[in-house]
Amino acid sequence: MRKALVGYLACGVLCSSVVLSIPAKEIDVPKQHGVAPAGELTVYAAASLSDVLQELSTEYAKQTGEKLVFNFSASSTLERQIEEGAPADVFFSADEEKMDSLERKGLLLAGTRHSLLSNSLVIVVPADASWQLTSAFDLTNAVIQRIAIAEPQSVPAGIYAKQYLSKLGLWNRLVSKCVPAENVRAALAAIESGNVDAGIVYKTDARISRTVSVAYEVPPAEGPKISYPVAVLKDSKAADAAKRLIHYLKSEAALQVFRKYGFLVGAGPQ
Amino acid sequence: MKLRLHNVRLPLAHFVLELDAEFTGQVAAIFGPSGAGKTSILDLIAGLRRAQSAQIELDGRALTDTGHDVFVPTRQRGVGYVPQEGALFPHLSVLHNLQYGAPRHPVGESKSQFGHVVEMLEIGELVNRRPQSLSGGEKQRVALARALLSSPRLLLLDEPLAALDQPLKLKIMPYLQRVRDEFRVPMIYVTHNANEVMALCDEVLVIDQGKQIRQGAPGDLFTASDEPQFVLKNGL
Amino acid sequence: MSAQEVQIVWFTARVAALSTVLILPLGIALAWLLARRDWRGKSVVETVVALPLVLPPVATGLLLLKLLGRRGPLGGFIYQHFGLDIVFTWRGVVVAAAVMSFPLLVRAARIAFQEVNPRLEQIASTLGAGFTRVFFTVTLPLAARGIVAGALLAFSRALGEFGATILVAGNIPGKTQTISLSIYTLVQLGHDVDALRLLSVSVGLAFLVVWGSELFYRRRDRA
Repeated sequence: MRKALVGYLACGVLCSSVVLSIPAKEIDVPKQHGVAPAGELTVYAAASLSDVLQELSTEYAKQTGEKLVFNFSASSTLERQIEEGAPADVFFSADEEKMDSLERKGLLLAGTRHSLLSNSLVIVVPADASWQLTSAFDLTNAVIQRIAIAEPQSVPAGIYAKQYLSKLGLWNRLVSKCVPAENVRAALAAIESGNVDAGIVYKTDARISRTVSVAYEVPPAEGPKISYPVAVLKDSKAADAAKRLIHYLKSEAALQVFRKYGFLVGAGPQ
Repeated sequence: MKLRLHNVRLPLAHFVLELDAEFTGQVAAIFGPSGAGKTSILDLIAGLRRAQSAQIELDGRALTDTGHDVFVPTRQRGVGYVPQEGALFPHLSVLHNLQYGAPRHPVGESKSQFGHVVEMLEIGELVNRRPQSLSGGEKQRVALARALLSSPRLLLLDEPLAALDQPLKLKIMPYLQRVRDEFRVPMIYVTHNANEVMALCDEVLVIDQGKQIRQGAPGDLFTASDEPQFVLKNGL
Repeated sequence: MSAQEVQIVWFTARVAALSTVLILPLGIALAWLLARRDWRGKSVVETVVALPLVLPPVATGLLLLKLLGRRGPLGGFIYQHFGLDIVFTWRGVVVAAAVMSFPLLVRAARIAFQEVNPRLEQIASTLGAGFTRVFFTVTLPLAARGIVAGALLAFSRALGEFGATILVAGNIPGKTQTISLSIYTLVQLGHDVDALRLLSVSVGLAFLVVWGSELFYRRRDRA
């Protein structure tokens, strides 16, 4: 019996070492969480910024040699994580509230907070949907059984969506149809999969998706005030590098990239 | 009884069981040392195992015939089975154990048969007990009664006294004799104990390592010796 | 506890109970097959059954999502022909819980069947019982304890299911939110006190289940 056990363990060790020694290409996924080794900046950013910041980080690395490590998630999740001591250098939120909360708790590095971007909401449907929507009111149609939005209690995209629908007096009628998603990209995925009939996401999210179509664009003037602030965190161990990054993000070169993705530059109408 | 085992061939762990025998007595013994393949023979007769080749016939009715693709399922063979131990259903009372193979709604004859069997094996007081609370001897009597109550055409007993100590063996043997004399059910009795053969059986098949050695009347094959056991005659 | 919290607890308990009841027939049958029969490809079946136990729950959830979504092979069929949605509904919660707890039931039931002395089944057939009668009057009663243990284990697992549930059923308050999903949301919102309250309900439920199963065993022992 013992011999069998030893043999089995030996096999296990042998197999593991064989598997581990197989040369493999590193998957190009932004590192999540964890402490970044020296020369790396950890950026916690809203999910809707995933694609644009990835592109910018490549540029940034080319120019400065500085490597950016991202944690993309709902801003509310990121805010909680930072409050619980997550090791972030920079926080790029999709609404001011989350930033306010951190500032109240003294977690921001004074003088580094900037409201950088805005966005607009769109109502989207799966690309192969047979129904047409011409406004938010069409969401009350019986054909639309399920609407994906980000979690409306905490996630910025969801809060914005709720604000917009409330403003139109539609929220109470539509809330039972709403399927809350963990973040705006999860909402987008739900619409792409066809498991929901429509959804409200950012215009910038709809642009990168090939399997949803925009049914209605909410004019910024009619929509909620969307604002994306960025700041350096007080406990950052690379404050100077972080400040440099924010400086870069404010530069015309970076802003052009943001515009390319559909973001509105400058904070929304206050 | 008329039990025929022809061209039986069953590969076992250490040897191949090969048999060609007929049993015509009332109680036939299959005698041999442990591991000789005796239990396998019973399993073949009961249809609990399939042989590589076999023709098994009971009272003219084919139970197994590998040549002609005949295999009567166990439940239709009408063979009762009393194993060495652990035969009783532990989750049922003695009464429910006894009733398991008996007709669902006994009327007339079968009703009285129940009483008769219970009385003969003296298990009347045990009917409401659970098998776990019975002694070894009591368990075997109940197992025997249960098999009898299913009105078998043939009773197979696999060393039923082997798990009992000597005094108990002497105590239970009369019950087996009673079954033989009063019920007249044909029995195949497997054992490695010559005394039991002498006490109960009218013919015996001696096997060893899966091969049959001799078949005949017990008196011809066994002889008294200085030791308390009967032994096989020399040359066997 | 607020009405909402009561609804969440009650919903979770009902879903877990329904999921356990649903997996019992197939689980018992499969466990018996695995315990008593051999066939080519048996190890494939064993592996597939074990998958939800071995894979990360979200991985299983992803598989289920792809399978049961409106465009999925199974979900699409059901949607076309019955007009029923599984994903993002209470049915999705039940399916996720059932799939994740299934291997636990099968494992326990298989061991229970393996421990039934085959001799007893053989004796039963010599007494004239056919396969069905042997199974229901001998095999199953003798394996019952282990099967019940497996069912209780499956029930507990279903109560606490999270990873697969959140992918397949979403976290829709009032519709698919179970205790674990609710705790998750409350933590996200920073409502730690409320989360802890639900947590203690969870612990209470766990105690109830374990205590209930102990009671069951002791009574069987005394019988």
